[in-house]
Amino acid sequence: MSSPSLTLPSQERPAARRRLLEILGALAIAATYVYLVLNQPADITGGPGSASALIALTGFLAGAVLLIVAVLPTLPASTLVLIPVALVLNIVLGQFVGSTLVPFYLDAIGTVLIAVLAGPAAGAATGALSSIVWSFFNPTVLPFAAGAALIGCLAGLAARYGLFRRFYLAPVAGFATGIIAGVVSAPVAAFVFGGTSGVATGAIVSAFRAMGDTLLAAITKQALISDPMDKAIVFTIVAILVYALPRRARQQFPFIRRHRVLAGTTPAADARAQGPAQDPVQGPAEGPAQDSTRKG
Amino acid sequence: MTASSAGRTAAPARRERLNPLTSLTAAAATAVITTAAGSWPLSLAVVAACLGLSVAGGTARRVLPAGAAVLVPLGLSLLWLHGLFFPEGRTVLAAWGPARITQEGLEFAGQRILQLAAVVLVLLLFSFSVRVPDLVAALSARGVQGRFAFVLASTLTLLPAIAARAQRIRQAQESRGLVVSGSLVSRARAFRLQAVPLVLSLIEDAGTRAAALEARGLSNTGPRTSYREVADSGLQRAARTVLVLAALAAVVLRVAQAGAGG
Repeated sequence: MSSPSLTLPSQERPAARRRLLEILGALAIAATYVYLVLNQPADITGGPGSASALIALTGFLAGAVLLIVAVLPTLPASTLVLIPVALVLNIVLGQFVGSTLVPFYLDAIGTVLIAVLAGPAAGAATGALSSIVWSFFNPTVLPFAAGAALIGCLAGLAARYGLFRRFYLAPVAGFATGIIAGVVSAPVAAFVFGGTSGVATGAIVSAFRAMGDTLLAAITKQALISDPMDKAIVFTIVAILVYALPRRARQQFPFIRRHRVLAGTTPAADARAQGPAQDPVQGPAEGPAQDSTRKG
Repeated sequence: MTASSAGRTAAPARRERLNPLTSLTAAAATAVITTAAGSWPLSLAVVAACLGLSVAGGTARRVLPAGAAVLVPLGLSLLWLHGLFFPEGRTVLAAWGPARITQEGLEFAGQRILQLAAVVLVLLLFSFSVRVPDLVAALSARGVQGRFAFVLASTLTLLPAIAARAQRIRQAQESRGLVVSGSLVSRARAFRLQAVPLVLSLIEDAGTRAAALEARGLSNTGPRTSYREVADSGLQRAARTVLVLAALAAVVLRVAQAGAGG
């Protein structure tokens, strides 16, 4: 799969314009979040159809779409064909867990898998696309596109900096990702839905509401309980899956080769396999599109 | 998806002339305007209209279960949350310890549920009545990335295929002696035994598909032609413009109102 294309090389769009779109997308998400958190006390019980719900929807969706537009054209075909597979894994596993009485979601296994195999940019695009395509069956996941993109991006960065090389570090990285993702997704749950979509997560929010918290505070606390555990489980499952793959299957991904994402694949052995032209240890100097984003 | 496409061929010819982008715009604009208005009579009217349209279009049997699967847990969660615990509520109807049923809480939950039901049903009505190949062709003709169209179409067609493959893998492992008992360790082992072959075969398949797509010029730029002609008309184009403008106006009006009124 790493063989070069048989057809004419594609003309890439200027990198500066893509970078601008990426930055705009990240800014839209960050600005929406800051606005929602600053403005929440005046608006939360103002009834449905509040301006905050519209701003949350517009800002987070626009940011996610900008990220997709920026990243999607840069992905190689071997990564692109994995995205539908990841989306199906997200949907099948997420739909199942969402209907059970467990306060977890497990709807990001596919996204994190792509992020580990192909890098943060691919992970972010997969997360955002996952929400958009999933909304064909379940429109309530659409507003969480920005949070899903953030999870994919953070998982890719964790893989990029070697947190999947030690098995016990993967859940730690998942825990940290969950904290950030939970805090970002909480305003969406609060303003757009006025609660959470699961029964078990709703019970946790009720407990905090019973203590007199505002809705946003209660949902943020619930997210801080559910999300880190959830993402720690997801990252562990993905680590198990990736290490169970045969060498040939994982080494077809340039991101894994270049950044030595997984343990046991020594750079020397890789260099022999790839020929002397590539040196994975010095790889980051090449600066490809897959690993150059830092969002959130 | 095979069952659904069989259902669609029986649909009236009138709907086939409707451009998928027109119905997408109509669904999205309805969802935005309902959210912006936030009035329960409008939400109720949208819910009723969606139910009527889905019965008329013959999609009710798939829209209703999908809608219920989303809305029932959400509705229960909201009723439980706001019905029992709404510290901002003043009019207490009943109270047991920390749990107080308040009028404000019930109103809040009811309005939210109605509004979400309207949005969910209108979007589901669109996604269950649209022909995916038509939508992909219409999106490509509008210059939307062929890659996005590929991801959308590929996911929707892969979903039943992958579900069938997961089922076959489970049967194969069971025939080799996999027994899932209640304990957590056993469940985790069973999950691993099924997930690893599934993910591995999916990644292998994806590699083959990547080579095939690359050989057919997926990454090439330039104009594309399509075998599929999607009907469109000046009237539909005008309707789309009007719907987008109406949705924008609703959002601007609502945000301006909130800015003025606090």
